[in-house]
Amino acid sequence: MSRTERETEAEGMREFESTEGMSEACARGLRHLLLACADTKLLLGYHYGEWTFGTPELEAAVASCSLAQTELGHVRLLHALLHRHFGDDPDALVERRPSAEFASVGFLDDAIEAWTGFVAANLVVDLAVTRTLYALAGSTFRPLRMSVGKMLDEERYHLHHGRGWFRTLARRDNEVAELRRQTEAALRSVAEWYGPKGEAEDAALVDAGVKSAASPAILDAIVRDVTSLAEEAGVALDAPAWKALGAWNPATRRLQVGGPDETILFRLRGTRNEVFKLT
Amino acid sequence: MESAEVYEVFARKEHDGELKHVGSVNAADDDLALAYAWTLYDEERWIEMCVVRRSAIIPVTHDGRLPVWGN
Repeated sequence: MSRTERETEAEGMREFESTEGMSEACARGLRHLLLACADTKLLLGYHYGEWTFGTPELEAAVASCSLAQTELGHVRLLHALLHRHFGDDPDALVERRPSAEFASVGFLDDAIEAWTGFVAANLVVDLAVTRTLYALAGSTFRPLRMSVGKMLDEERYHLHHGRGWFRTLARRDNEVAELRRQTEAALRSVAEWYGPKGEAEDAALVDAGVKSAASPAILDAIVRDVTSLAEEAGVALDAPAWKALGAWNPATRRLQVGGPDETILFRLRGTRNEVFKLT
Repeated sequence: MESAEVYEVFARKEHDGELKHVGSVNAADDDLALAYAWTLYDEERWIEMCVVRRSAIIPVTHDGRLPVWGN
């Protein structure tokens, strides 16, 4: 019996092998959360892949390409869980879903034109998904718990890359203003993705022990991580303030209708090469 | 890169195997050196990898001298 299972037992929490026995809000919240993480990782993978060329140094090009590969590997893991426990078709999730149904972090909706934007996505958005996975590492939903460790191991190098590049750009007077602007935009976007305090599905996930921390606590940790790194590097950041997110949609994790740019989805899906796809 | 430093990369394939020099990376700081080493030298499933700043290495042999047997 693993330590986590003993802890689960000690806390009187039920261990789940499937969604059977979960409350409706909990099961719905779990599907939404898995989709949101998979969608964000898919978009991160796309942007990292785009930045295989055009990086400031060759080592960063290799790193971007490697980061893309691990994100896409994680998408496969998360899609496998969605397929097995919720009946989602992984192909349909990527290939045939309207942009407005994606639950990815809005910062990734459009092309990332500048390296400062890449660094903000790497430092803040990547960290957001990783911190969410960290909150699932001791999940009472066993199939998810078994997949999270591998993802967290690999994400370690993503965090080093983001931190290293933030510090590097913070030392350059001509880059620091844009770095601050992009990082603050990424933080605001991540804050929207986490949703309002006391959100019903999030509360159900925490109550059932599927997730160890509520979204506001995870966001607080991210803001602390990023602002303290920025402070050490001499960059003062405005932390996003909690707002009343009345119209927030838990399925898309957005306040308003939106989604990835159609051109990005076209390229990401390989629509142009559809004729060559194996059936 | 204005402040890049050379880091030497060492890795071990098996628990009882030797730690081998596998290459080097140029990086602005330790965080980037870790990320670059891990993503650049991923041809094996290393069980251990570490980086050392080249500037921290203390030479045992004499720099710039012809090697002499027995040194």
